[in-house]
Amino acid sequence: MTIQQQRALELGDIQSGALRERPAPYVGRYLLLRLGDAEQGRELVRRLHALLVEQDRHGPSDPQAWLTVAFTHAGLAALGVPQSSLDSFPAEFREGMAARAEQLGDVGPSSPEHWEPPLGSDAVHVAVSVLAPDAPSLEAVAERARTRYADLPSVEVVWRQDCYQLSTGRTSFGFKDGIGNPDVEGSGLPLRNRSERPIKTGEFILGYPDETGSVAPMPTPEVLGRNGTFLVFRKLRTDVAAYRRYLRDRARDRDEERLLGAKMVGRWPSGAPLVLAPDTEDRDLGADPSRNNSFGYRDDLRGFKCPAGAHARRANPRDALEDENSVNVRLHRMIRRGTSYGTALPDGVLEDDGQDRGIVFVFAGAHLDRQFEFVKTQWINDGVFIGVPGESDPLVSGAQAPTDFTIPHVPIRRRLRDLPPLVVTRGGEYCFAPGLRALAWLSGLETPQEEP
Amino acid sequence: MTAADETTRRPGVRVGSASEFSLFFRVIPGHAEEIRAALTALQRTPGYRPGDYEMAIASIHEARFVLFDDDTRLLFATSFDGSWDAYMEDFAAGPLQLFDAIFQHTDGYAGLPDVSAVKDFILGAQVTAAAYARNYPGTVKELRRANRLREAFDTVLDDPRAEEALGHPALKPLLDEAADA
Repeated sequence: MTIQQQRALELGDIQSGALRERPAPYVGRYLLLRLGDAEQGRELVRRLHALLVEQDRHGPSDPQAWLTVAFTHAGLAALGVPQSSLDSFPAEFREGMAARAEQLGDVGPSSPEHWEPPLGSDAVHVAVSVLAPDAPSLEAVAERARTRYADLPSVEVVWRQDCYQLSTGRTSFGFKDGIGNPDVEGSGLPLRNRSERPIKTGEFILGYPDETGSVAPMPTPEVLGRNGTFLVFRKLRTDVAAYRRYLRDRARDRDEERLLGAKMVGRWPSGAPLVLAPDTEDRDLGADPSRNNSFGYRDDLRGFKCPAGAHARRANPRDALEDENSVNVRLHRMIRRGTSYGTALPDGVLEDDGQDRGIVFVFAGAHLDRQFEFVKTQWINDGVFIGVPGESDPLVSGAQAPTDFTIPHVPIRRRLRDLPPLVVTRGGEYCFAPGLRALAWLSGLETPQEEP
Repeated sequence: MTAADETTRRPGVRVGSASEFSLFFRVIPGHAEEIRAALTALQRTPGYRPGDYEMAIASIHEARFVLFDDDTRLLFATSFDGSWDAYMEDFAAGPLQLFDAIFQHTDGYAGLPDVSAVKDFILGAQVTAAAYARNYPGTVKELRRANRLREAFDTVLDDPRAEEALGHPALKPLLDEAADA
């Protein structure tokens, strides 16, 4: 790859899923489609493309619902994408998430054989997500999308997941989420972190220079790759009762329970980061988007405020590793657009009520391997990078063996032992969300294409 | 314990937390003197001087540069905490560029700042070990912490009140180590 001049970001060609912030509150719907016939599949893409063009006219400031369309590798094949083009995608995308389960730590109850069908199988071709500020606007867009495939008999909805923000505005574990996203150069979104330069566009959108100064390898032909982004979605079931029982057992009182929970997450329930509010909850800080993501760990390298093993610090160590020269944190950032599903476990309940609840984790980025897979395998599932190989993420590692969690504290550190697994992977897929021109190209595949 | 008894990953062999990393380069004909001078200069920089123990790359256990075959070839051999595959891009993007003054005397080095060229250069020089073993477990971070602890314990033992202080039942594991610590 050669170093190119900085191109202006073609926001009008990029789908909304990556660079558009989740509304708050939100409702969401994820649909997976199977294409039984290439011609009808391309007709579907043609119609969805028209819908996206129409949606794009409203612009990102429009509060209405929006749609994002993405394809698995099997889905691109089902549309008739030429083999040379299919082969030009990175190996991890071609293999798919299920094939990489062992490496990702999706083992035991999280292994693909236990996933919700048809997740992880060849029957998943198209992923459609709709995000909206309220149910009526979601239904309006979902209905518009539905009419686009209703008369295409070979297009089959094979999976559906509805999501909505809990009335608390928090995840099932009780914490505000969606805060820690990177600032992206040229995205037009307000900058949230004053302690860090915005990340290069090419880390998230294909066709632009990235943090290495190069342009990431793109699938061919160029029209297919440019302005595309890889999406990861994972349905993660959370065991909220086990989390609460664990804290109840280990804490002396309710205050300490809240503190231990915050230490595990790296933030207080309001979203206030521990580095800025080490001792007590600070709701104003948590609610202030200009402050709740504007911090680093430079003055807390030993983790007395926020443990090095806390979930948020693992997922993004910010400037904590700067002196080590081993890792460039800017190469491992993720845009996350996750949502919650299921009802809240009522306050104070310590026994599982059998309800399915959790998180639909959504990642967007230009590199599945050095972004999502790196963070999951090196920082979430493993503790080598913080010098504690035996510990993994206290909340979401998915490791099916209990882990320890160390909380630095003067005069004596506290070590929580045998933290049970709190999350089970119910399934997921690696997808590619092409730009709008690429969708038009995909829909026109029946005419012979020039090989790149 | 056999070499590579744990996770073996392509292309560096991993034992416990550490992966081995061996790169073989060809010295550009006529550059033998320059590359030797560059290595001597490296040996004099902070972190590489005998007794420094603070190399710029914190995850590296040890590193050596060996000129061989009459200074026509160079071996760079090290082991570091983490997996080879995962950190490849990071190394190309940063730490290995610290060795720019050395690599510029080897074949195929396109120089800074093209990271993908540096990456290709490294991949072209990397040879996986046929056997690799370690004689202690742990990451660099753990070992440094262990050393700090040992020094602190030594200081405690040098205090004439140590025996009395270590007599508390909670400190028995420390007292058990005190006799020949």
